[in-house]
Amino acid sequence: MSPLPSLLGRIKENWQVYVLLAPMVIWFILFLYAPMGGLQIAFKDFSLFRGISGSAWVGFEHFRTLFEDENFLRAVKNTFIISFYGLIFGFPIPIMVALMFNEIHHYIFKRVSQTIAYLPHFISVVIVAGLVISFLSPTTGILNLVLESLGFDKIYFLTNPDYFRTIFISSNIWKEAGFNSIVYLAAIASVNPSLYESAKVDGATRFQMMYKITLPTILPTILIMLIISIGNMVEVGFEYIILLYQPSTFETADVISTYIYRVGLQGSQYDVATAAGLFNAVVAFVLVYTANWLSRKYSSSSLW
Amino acid sequence: MIKKILPYSTLALALTAASGASVAASDDQYKATDKPLEMTIHMHVGNKYAWDEEWPVAKEYEKYTGIKLKGVASKIGTNSQELFNLMLVSGNLPDFVGGNALKDSFFQYGMEGAFLPLNDLIEQYAPNIKAFFEQYPDKKKAITAPDGNIYHIAYFPDGQAARAYYIRQDWLDKLGLEQPQTVDELYTVLKAFRDQDPNGNGKKDEVPAFFRHWEEMIRLVTLWDARTTGMDSAHQFYIKDKTTAQHGYVEENYRTGIRNLAKWYKEGLIDQEVFTRGSKARDYLLSNNLGGMTHDWFASTAGYNDSLKDRVPGFEWIPMAPPATPSGVRIEENGRATVKPDGWALTYSNRDPIASIKYMDFIFTEKGRNIANFGVEGVHWTMVDGKATYTDEVLNADTAVNTQMRNVGAQIPLGYPQDYNYEKQWTNEIAAKGIEMYTDNNYIIEQFNGVAMTVAERLVYDKYWPGILTYMLEAQQRWILGSADVDEEWDGYIARINKLGYDKVIKVYQAAYDRQYK
Repeated sequence: MSPLPSLLGRIKENWQVYVLLAPMVIWFILFLYAPMGGLQIAFKDFSLFRGISGSAWVGFEHFRTLFEDENFLRAVKNTFIISFYGLIFGFPIPIMVALMFNEIHHYIFKRVSQTIAYLPHFISVVIVAGLVISFLSPTTGILNLVLESLGFDKIYFLTNPDYFRTIFISSNIWKEAGFNSIVYLAAIASVNPSLYESAKVDGATRFQMMYKITLPTILPTILIMLIISIGNMVEVGFEYIILLYQPSTFETADVISTYIYRVGLQGSQYDVATAAGLFNAVVAFVLVYTANWLSRKYSSSSLW
Repeated sequence: MIKKILPYSTLALALTAASGASVAASDDQYKATDKPLEMTIHMHVGNKYAWDEEWPVAKEYEKYTGIKLKGVASKIGTNSQELFNLMLVSGNLPDFVGGNALKDSFFQYGMEGAFLPLNDLIEQYAPNIKAFFEQYPDKKKAITAPDGNIYHIAYFPDGQAARAYYIRQDWLDKLGLEQPQTVDELYTVLKAFRDQDPNGNGKKDEVPAFFRHWEEMIRLVTLWDARTTGMDSAHQFYIKDKTTAQHGYVEENYRTGIRNLAKWYKEGLIDQEVFTRGSKARDYLLSNNLGGMTHDWFASTAGYNDSLKDRVPGFEWIPMAPPATPSGVRIEENGRATVKPDGWALTYSNRDPIASIKYMDFIFTEKGRNIANFGVEGVHWTMVDGKATYTDEVLNADTAVNTQMRNVGAQIPLGYPQDYNYEKQWTNEIAAKGIEMYTDNNYIIEQFNGVAMTVAERLVYDKYWPGILTYMLEAQQRWILGSADVDEEWDGYIARINKLGYDKVIKVYQAAYDRQYK
């Protein structure tokens, strides 16, 4: 048995592959690993002018400030509730959409409906928020006009904390479901056609084929997507919430990122904001690690 | 040819004249330096534009002072705060730093050593700034840091008026009503707007009172002697009786005001969509002949009289005096700040602080002030009866005068005393009359310019205040929307605010105020 070639030797031999890899590695180092040094300002009384090394250490002071603040704890709670509901309702829909597209056999109709489903993804959140606001407007919004004609009272949806999560999650699903189905469509495309052919010979219905062939084959993709989504649970898009929320809906709408924005960045408290961001990252890490561990234990697919 | 020679001859004179001593009528008296000097400035404003040495106004400053300020802030940048931060962390500071919303940064980093204390420099080399401060001691106090030093020269706006009450006079006439003189009469008028179909379309679709920003709706509590803020931004502290720092949202009058606003909202006198309609409210409700009154900026609101005169027949939309409160006073809470949190400072690495302060001082001379306000003499303005007056080309151009000024480098937030006359010359006639009414009758409350906190005070403030304000605003909207009752919740509300640390915040605010203004 010949010894393993040295790293340098391997690079020399396959240099083309490493060249292709390089931009991504450099990007990671520059934009994700290098800035990690800045995380220390979460433990410092940070001044832009004094710089990171010139600012004094304050230990866990900023974390103490955060956890003594009921608004922060509420934001943590809201983040999890919104993400959890978002996952429960939002995760299966792109899979269903992909399965449905897969069943469309009319070529033009399939292309057109796919394009229409992807479109909302490309609309800026500012426009989407504008659409939602006018759609839900108590005087001229379609929804309220329908409610009125059915004899119900009009509702000022966007100032009522009870409705916020539903509005946020459902409009997000509308915006992203079509686009998120692409990855599943790709997975479906890689299913071996001979499986369907033999199933057809055996007299399987289309629904049975979907259930017994398509779904099991794309299950690894689904699991990987699930792990990634769980890792992103703490990241609720803050621009969209800021555009939709009001003080009267803070109770259910204020999430960690909007809290950081309001308290940290608007007030120039970069150190506190970093502490909150670090907390965010630690939670995300634990979540994704757990999800991966569970997935590896109970199925064969995992991120690492 | 003569034009070309002139600058050289003045330069020669400057070189020979003893510096600063000359009081001759020549332009030399403004020279800040013996020999031409080039310095750098980082100034990015309002996420929009950066200092440009090619601005005609910058060239005028250069002509008189002999100093060329070269802009080093990114001219294509779109985030002023970020650019300022980057410049500061890079450690490579230019000679001057300027921009908007930098007051707290000037205080904080000035005390840390980033900016030069200007007190002695002003005393010795800036007679015009010194005279300005002697004339307006409160403005000097407003820019004094907690350690007693001045680190920046601020932008000092001129003129008092900002926002006003506007009402549809033609609707009043149609319904045979007078302008409301008290808050009770206003209530009656709004009800009439709601019920008596002043727009005459047979539908009950009028929105009696509407606002582009819901904060302006909350400001209606001032009609019941309450306060919402002390300065030109919303929800700030105010100084009661010129001695005590106080927040309007804990006062009994505020409770009364909110109780009434909740009632008005419930009865449909206030736009039902006030919290979400946003900035298009005024455009939409006026051009569709639906809105009856508002509280908004003098000039831009008056402009609808011209833009809608064809679309809405008989449209007459005029400023009215603030209706009197139950205690009988007329209050306009919103006025112009007398000191903006904008301006410029000299960095610790400034190469020639004396020349720099003289440059800053030039803008406080009559000549410099006119340039900073009106642009280049002979091009944008001429002296008429001792007053700088815009040329017809400027006044009649398609672009708004303030935009034209900014494009040449005038009316930008560097440290300069604004001249209200700049705006008066092109203010809409309806707005101008309203402004006169508001200022002549002293409706506008004197604006507070805020405090400068020490590091320790700032820590306390930052720790408690955001949470308290969040809680206050949540309660406020809940009460207005009617999902809770202010009178039922009030005692619990006050108790909660105290528990959240209101007394600690008020204590540091008061301490900062006493140190700075007493």
